[in-house]
Amino acid sequence: MGVKKRMSGCVATANAIRLADVDVICSYPIRPYTGIMSELARMVADGELDAEFVLGEGEHGQLSVVYGAAAAGARAFTGSSGVGVMYAMELYSPISGERLPLQMCIADRTLDPPGDFGSEQTDAMCCRDQGWIQGWASTPQEALDISLMYYRIGEDPRVLLPQYACQDGYFVSHILGEVDVPTQAEVKAFLPPYKNHHVLDVKNPMIIGAQIEPQMGPGLQYQRYLAVEGSRKVIEEVHEEFADIFGRKYDPWIEEYMTEGAETVIFIQGGHAETGKTVVRRLRNLGEKVGLVRLRTIRPFPTQQVRECLSRFKAVGVIDNSVSFGIACSAGILLTEVRAAIYDMGDKVKTVGFVAGLGGEMITHDEFYKVFKKLKEVVKTGRVDKESYWLPFEL
Amino acid sequence: MLEEIKSIKKAPVEEYYVPGHRTCAGCGPALQYRLVAKAAGPNTIFLGPTGCMYVANTSYACGPWATPWMHTQITNGGAVASGVEAAFKAMIRKHKTDAEFPNIIVMAGDGGTSDIGIQALSAAFYRGHNILFICYDNESYANTGIQASPMTPYGAWTTFTPAGPVVPEGKKLMPKDITKIMAHGHPELKYLATASLSYPIDLMNKVRKGLNANGPAFLYIHAPCPKGWSFPADKTVEIGKLAVETGMIQLYELIDGEYKLTYKPTKYKPITEYIKYQGRFSHLQPEHIEKLQQFANQRLKEVGVEVEAPTITT
Repeated sequence: MGVKKRMSGCVATANAIRLADVDVICSYPIRPYTGIMSELARMVADGELDAEFVLGEGEHGQLSVVYGAAAAGARAFTGSSGVGVMYAMELYSPISGERLPLQMCIADRTLDPPGDFGSEQTDAMCCRDQGWIQGWASTPQEALDISLMYYRIGEDPRVLLPQYACQDGYFVSHILGEVDVPTQAEVKAFLPPYKNHHVLDVKNPMIIGAQIEPQMGPGLQYQRYLAVEGSRKVIEEVHEEFADIFGRKYDPWIEEYMTEGAETVIFIQGGHAETGKTVVRRLRNLGEKVGLVRLRTIRPFPTQQVRECLSRFKAVGVIDNSVSFGIACSAGILLTEVRAAIYDMGDKVKTVGFVAGLGGEMITHDEFYKVFKKLKEVVKTGRVDKESYWLPFEL
Repeated sequence: MLEEIKSIKKAPVEEYYVPGHRTCAGCGPALQYRLVAKAAGPNTIFLGPTGCMYVANTSYACGPWATPWMHTQITNGGAVASGVEAAFKAMIRKHKTDAEFPNIIVMAGDGGTSDIGIQALSAAFYRGHNILFICYDNESYANTGIQASPMTPYGAWTTFTPAGPVVPEGKKLMPKDITKIMAHGHPELKYLATASLSYPIDLMNKVRKGLNANGPAFLYIHAPCPKGWSFPADKTVEIGKLAVETGMIQLYELIDGEYKLTYKPTKYKPITEYIKYQGRFSHLQPEHIEKLQQFANQRLKEVGVEVEAPTITT
């Protein structure tokens, strides 16, 4: 048991990085994640953390610096938001393909145009194909916890993959929450030192990242696929270990909230789930058979777990707090992935997509009520007349 | 500290750039790579931004380095080197490794140095990382089939600057002088020099001075390219010499804020003696050649050499 303090998601993440005894940090300012870096800079200056704090020249530079650091054998950390996450895009595949388990915290932010500091999951969602472990924290406590768990998962010799530790900008990154900050001893017991198979070491020279012929390509990609799929088991083990040492038990894949006997549920990722939970409690008090399912890990996507969970309900409202223009079913990425996961169940479970909370707006109680009302209607009629709604315009 | 190499006979025998690459016959960059690796020795980590010294060196998932080597993107040699350097600093200080601090050398082409890679290079030097950044200048984006880079000379044919009635000189733009860019404005700079593969002892000693500098060191190495410049593959060293003897390339070091030549021909030949052997200049008219001569004279002036403009008679 550590020390309980009120802190923002940014400061909570910085505490995790301090406890993880990270060696190399590369900063660059962009709202709303900047607070993580300024807190880390303060920790380094005050002697609370011994790390090289490298002033990056931009987000592409940040990811390049930590790529080099991880290849040399150091535990490395960086982060960004919004267009910054996009600017670094070139590096995500090389980092995961070269099996460098560095961590990037994304405090999400809507993309330009125009400039908008508000939260939206689009930036990090754009990275979901790159072979990293990825999930959203919904509270500052969870932000600290996933940072620690992700290093443990990513650095596991069976995995060796980088991680995107995501949190909603402002809603999680800036709003204070109560955080139990673990002790260094607890973290030391949980997180062993980083040791990779392949490092830049003059005593054991290696060539990392040689050019290949196309015929060598499929095998390399298949190896990476196996690594991502193989991480599922490790993710589950690590969540168990975490619960044992720190006393906080998270389901590795999905958190179910008041789903017993529910007929309709909301499927959602990140901090907006907190608002959703309030609405679920109120509707339950009124006798409504509702619940909420929060996706904790999006990559690897827990297909089987989502399938088994959602098969118990009659209608699911999938909330997408991101844009994916022109996507199949015209809502968002989560709707499409949920539908893919439950495809084999045929028409048994109805799904409707709701694009909400864009630009940094809250998903309001009113909007959640409307979603549940729509789902109730779907259950009653047995039909999905419209599969996607852009809130607040279309409901 | 790496010691000065007094002569070819006293140069180290060990090779750290060995068979395993498939560069063109007469490849200038490959020749200088061997010299650099020899001078640096085994306690060295090379970082290879995409370019000829990546693609032509590792084509079949193999490579010619007997030291650790890692690929970087063409964009970020300086940044990746910064990360490697910071990692060793932290790991050594925190007793997470028993390694000695290594030589960290970025081997970047002219594009990866002066164009798409310039941001990362400048930032690394601003931050003062203990690295040696080498620009091997074959004066084009050669790996992709010879396209113009900011260091392609005025008047050079490339596939992006072909000569034709609308553009008789081919390349209209004068090149960037990346060495001068790096020489000024980076307060942490510790060593800066130019070299040529045709002057191997001078080159190897400049590599060692850069590595001994304990901070950011920049080394420009002129590396002629038979394929891109259209000259016979067995003439690489000769072409490199002519570049220096005509003043197109100057060999100097930056010492206490001043340029000090490390080699000066007794008499400068006109640049026609250099360009006449290269097919990439064969379309030039007298007025273009005159401009090129003025360019060479200006570069010489910048390092303290006043030349009378030789009269161009052909």
